[in-house]
Amino acid sequence: MICRTPILVSWIGWLRFLLAVDLLAVPISRTEATPANKAALEHHFDRFLVRKLARCTTCHLPSEVKNPKELVEFPHNPFGDRLRQIGEETRQSGRPFDLDGRLNRIASEDADGDGVDNRTELLLGHNPGERDDIPGPAERTAAAGRLAAFEQFLTGYRWRPFDPVRRPPVPAVRPAPGGFERRNPIDDFLATEWMQRGLNPRPVAPREVLLRRVYLDLIGLNPDPEEQAAFLADDSPTAWEKVVDRLLEDPRHGERWARHWMDVWRYSDWAGWTDGNQVRDSKPHIWRWRDWIVESLNADVPYDRMVTEMLAADELAPEDPNALRATGFLVRNYKMLSREQWLEDTIKHTAQAFMGITAGCAKCHDHMYDPVSQREYYSLRAIFEPHQVRTDRIPGQVEVARDGLVRAYDNTNAPTWFFVRGDERNPLTNEVISAGVPAALGGKLEVDEVILPSSAHHPDDREFVRDDLLAASAKAIAAAQAAAAEPASATNSTPEKGIEAALQLDLLEKKHRVLSEQILRERSRGAVATSDLKVDNAATNLVLLQRTVSVAETLLRLHQTRVAVGADPTKASADARKKLEDATRSHTEAVVALAAPLNGQFQARTRETFPARSTGRRLAFAKWLTAPQNPLTARVAVNQMWLRHFGRGLVPSAADFGRNGRPPSHPQLLDWLAAELMAPDPSTSSDSRGTANPVATITHGNWRMKHLHRLMVTSAAYRLASTPSEDSRTADPDNVFLWRMSSRRLEAESVRDNLLKVAGNLDSTRGGPEIDHQLALTSTRRSLYLRHAAEKQAEFLQIFDGPSVTECYERHPSVMPQQALALANSELALRQARLLARRLQASFEEDPARAITEAFRSVLARRPTAGELRECHSFLEAQFQPVARETGSPNRALENLALVLLNHSDFVTVR
Amino acid sequence: MNPRNSCPGITRRSFLADTGMGFTGLALGALLYRDGQLQADALPESEDQKWTPPTGLPQTTPRARAVIWIFLCGGVSHLESFDIKPALNQYAGKSIAETPFASVLNTEHKNVLGGNPGHGNRKTLMPLQTGFRRYGESGLIVGDWFRNIGECADDLAVVRSLWTIHNDHGAQLTWQTGRHPRELEHPTLGGWACYGLGSMNENLPEYVVLGAPTGDCCGGTFTYGASYLGPEHGGVRLNTDPKNPLPFIRPPANSITTEEQTANLGLLGRLNRMAGIDYPDDLQLRARIRSYELAFQMQTSIPETLELDREPEHIRRLYGLDQAGTKSFGEQCLVARRLVERGVRFVQIFHGGGGGGAWDAHSDIKKNHTSLSDQVDVPVAALLKDLKQRGLLDNTLVVFGTEFGRSPGAEGSGRDHHPQGFSAWLAGGGIRGGVQHGATDELGFHAVENRHYVTDIHATVLHQLGLDSRRLEIPGRKRLEQDHGSVIHGILA
Repeated sequence: MICRTPILVSWIGWLRFLLAVDLLAVPISRTEATPANKAALEHHFDRFLVRKLARCTTCHLPSEVKNPKELVEFPHNPFGDRLRQIGEETRQSGRPFDLDGRLNRIASEDADGDGVDNRTELLLGHNPGERDDIPGPAERTAAAGRLAAFEQFLTGYRWRPFDPVRRPPVPAVRPAPGGFERRNPIDDFLATEWMQRGLNPRPVAPREVLLRRVYLDLIGLNPDPEEQAAFLADDSPTAWEKVVDRLLEDPRHGERWARHWMDVWRYSDWAGWTDGNQVRDSKPHIWRWRDWIVESLNADVPYDRMVTEMLAADELAPEDPNALRATGFLVRNYKMLSREQWLEDTIKHTAQAFMGITAGCAKCHDHMYDPVSQREYYSLRAIFEPHQVRTDRIPGQVEVARDGLVRAYDNTNAPTWFFVRGDERNPLTNEVISAGVPAALGGKLEVDEVILPSSAHHPDDREFVRDDLLAASAKAIAAAQAAAAEPASATNSTPEKGIEAALQLDLLEKKHRVLSEQILRERSRGAVATSDLKVDNAATNLVLLQRTVSVAETLLRLHQTRVAVGADPTKASADARKKLEDATRSHTEAVVALAAPLNGQFQARTRETFPARSTGRRLAFAKWLTAPQNPLTARVAVNQMWLRHFGRGLVPSAADFGRNGRPPSHPQLLDWLAAELMAPDPSTSSDSRGTANPVATITHGNWRMKHLHRLMVTSAAYRLASTPSEDSRTADPDNVFLWRMSSRRLEAESVRDNLLKVAGNLDSTRGGPEIDHQLALTSTRRSLYLRHAAEKQAEFLQIFDGPSVTECYERHPSVMPQQALALANSELALRQARLLARRLQASFEEDPARAITEAFRSVLARRPTAGELRECHSFLEAQFQPVARETGSPNRALENLALVLLNHSDFVTVR
Repeated sequence: MNPRNSCPGITRRSFLADTGMGFTGLALGALLYRDGQLQADALPESEDQKWTPPTGLPQTTPRARAVIWIFLCGGVSHLESFDIKPALNQYAGKSIAETPFASVLNTEHKNVLGGNPGHGNRKTLMPLQTGFRRYGESGLIVGDWFRNIGECADDLAVVRSLWTIHNDHGAQLTWQTGRHPRELEHPTLGGWACYGLGSMNENLPEYVVLGAPTGDCCGGTFTYGASYLGPEHGGVRLNTDPKNPLPFIRPPANSITTEEQTANLGLLGRLNRMAGIDYPDDLQLRARIRSYELAFQMQTSIPETLELDREPEHIRRLYGLDQAGTKSFGEQCLVARRLVERGVRFVQIFHGGGGGGAWDAHSDIKKNHTSLSDQVDVPVAALLKDLKQRGLLDNTLVVFGTEFGRSPGAEGSGRDHHPQGFSAWLAGGGIRGGVQHGATDELGFHAVENRHYVTDIHATVLHQLGLDSRRLEIPGRKRLEQDHGSVIHGILA
């Protein structure tokens, strides 16, 4: 049940190494006799290294010096000496440090001269540098098997998800089985496995199947009948590539893949109560992050740039409101009720989404499987500890409750403490944990504080905010004037209300003058740095204006209180009389204050201010995360993409690349793709295999996702039929080795989007505020625009296994009677069937067979078979007469046919 | 209908045969020889018999025809429910090493877990947080948190020597599939039961899930899925609210007639079967065809099943429907009985699902377990009594389980995860009542006597249903010895 994988053992090795670094302060000499050598030794022998030899004494003589500082104090034994010699040679020849190579080179030598070669001794657990430590005869007999196993291990590919990505060579494949025609390196990697496992790839799928497959995959929608016809008629060798390129440039591609990444990045609209008055999770206006995702994908913004903006756009591009939207990734974790939960979610899901490690487990204890200590968890926390969320004004809207730019920023100086057993009630306050990253993942966090531009820390001083405030104030006055001028309006219905309206208007006007003066002063502050008399006059004037505002304000309140108390105060309650007294006193005081000496101490406009510096921790983290040396970022990203193109991740546990996850089916391919994402090989960017592709315009550059999409969907493997074959199915029933394309159910959003699309009813508007989830059955917008939050999800989508708000690194499609009910009984499906039938009516009157064919092409993107045509024909004949008589609608039979096709298994299935 | 054969030898022709030839003509053959024929002759048992798909007939004489599988999410304390350890009161506050039972930590069984069990490693003993007493003729000792279930002691067979292989809530998945959560999706016990025996009715799903299931962290939909057995054998979730039992349960008024629905379903079935000919191994398609036929029936059968108002007042009271605390779980238990009455094979009830699970009492276990047991104790006891008074308990097997126990050692005011030893009980369906089977050590730390891995419970349930999981195994789908488990013969009547 517990499989001791090579990964496990190598990790124990790594951990030992880390411990050694931490605790032992092992001597560092000018030669490379460092624990790095020991780690490299363990790396080389992996599970074949016995514990006894994972020590310094494998290469060194036992030292008599307690803390040896120099090699002379800790000399090599003959084995270590030989390694050092070769190391000197390689260094002189300018080659890099390579213990693997050195160990291989002296494998068959016998350093200690005991008659047994170095490798055999090591594998049998005897010291190769110690003459007296010799394997016995029985051990030597058994050595052959162990040697063979180790050599196989050396030549086999090693999956080391926590080591930096190295691009493996593309395997040379002899003619692949079954006349399979390779098209790019993906095929070579897959074909290698087929041949080793005796699997035969299926032939290429029929063109109708292929076209629908790639449409649904890249834009999430069926091809139109016209697009089907065009593709079927295009017999050029690059017909497929043309379609792929067109779809990748289609703006609907961004919408389709945004929904995928919204799963991984946990998109959530705000949740809470009373129209946003109490926001509990996430924040209003976070849809701007969703739009940023769509736009960035369409613009093919590099993945590393996207990740960096999501984690730290406020530090990277503090003046770019478009980039700031990206920090919705952080905002999404906002939790009104618990900052602890908020930070916990942020850490857990940042690690899982980008690195596929379950670092969240290390909150309470060292990770049980992966190299993340509890302490390192808190250094990750320190990266996020200072951040907070806020909503900045956007041009044209002064009320951030109505609309605004919700974003992250650093605000607090809260220290990060180690919580004993993860319990925030039990912090170790004697030491502040500094920001850091798990050591085992390599690299270092290089934090530079960011000095922010003034617009970032004084956002209300931006010119557009001033303009908008003045405009809003003027608009309010105009509205009040209009209301006051209207004789029988609600504001004028009684004399009291008329007075109140007049007082209101007066107050608004006075406030407007104050605001204008305040803003005038702000604008001229730079220009009039020399204090002259005019400025002082203006200040005095402003003070006076502000006092008149107080008078107007208190007068309005006094009037309102009087009206509330009624004509005869003696009859009012004590409480009401008290209120009246207070209002009267306030007003009197304001009037008296009017006459006080003018001092120039006016009140400046209320403006939000934020820290002028940001810790730079998140930016540093993003840089570390997207450095090519980071072992996980690219691997996890390409795996997420592969999962969605092929239906199964190369690492099946897409959010867990650790030891508790599952090993990859094709480690080389995954590493190759990861390398390709970070830095594409020139040979892959145009088709080097002969089928020249003049249409393809490959974007060169690193981390471009469209390049990876193109590679995957233009591979020959992607084009295989999904039909089974008996032999391969028996050998690989789960299609782990991709000898065919896996049939899949459409994701919830695509089911709904296609219902609308095939009836010609899909609204192609892109972006904007989220649509009420309760409108899912009537709205005609794409599903990714429907509100998606805790307790606010479209039921129709949830029935089709829509994403969980908590986490959804992978969809798990089910088959349930509820889905049948949703497609057969929902008003959404019934309405689309009616609309579709209306479009078929003309053809139907001409020739029922034509209407049936059209219906198949619209709904299922294929032509009906003769048998299907016959079935549908007799259905229409049987239905047409009796039903028409009952309902009086000649269209009724067609509507039912359309409904049946919308319920067809092929409608929700990608073949 | 008998749509199985997720196996080699699938041909285009067998696809058509398996999925029936159309709605009106389907199901007869399969249904006729199912229900009412549970006493059918056992198939000959021979070691090397050639594999054939299950026929829907029991393989051995069955003792149960339906299962109610209650699962409490988060880990219920075995120490304070069905495996009372008075020694914890005696040595409260002491470390295990300071008690006469220091040796419990050194058994040969301590390494059942992979990795370093950071959870469950609490060594300072915590006293019992509830009282306890003996019940029934069997004298079974039960904690006061479950006193109503205690009243049914003579019907229960408590297994006190369970262990599992994961020390976090992924063990919820292990309880259902027998596999480590790392191994993701595998058929659940409910999936196997339904795959082996199929449905007893054509109006309701064969496998129904009630309550909030395990969260995504810990198995999610896998905890009631059928994996490679095909989604048609997976659990179908139902709400117990009769006003909204299932969304879209009926079409909008005046939109479509029943005659039209019937005609549409007929055409749909024929078209799906035609289109499926090229994909004879597509389990999703098979399940979808079945789900449409079922959905059509469910439009009337589900609202009827959920009309709990039709139950007499004393029954409603028995299940605690009149009390706010027990209403929700009481409804689920009552619906479970009604489902079983109507021929549903496997009813899986989750309590406290989502996240790690509500029972996960790392702190203040007293408050946590008091409040949660108040929700389940009365309804579960009611279910047992009600089944019994209707004679249904004879052929309905009720199982009450959780993913692991809780640590004898304190974690503050709570108890930690404890996979090394925990309890579950079974009742009805040919299980001997009043039995205490197996034991943990004096402190409840390790299961020591008659140790059982969770799949031994699976094997026992399948055995009572007349199935042998080895004979259900599908060629090409390697099952481990541990997946099959062993029947716990000591608790059979």
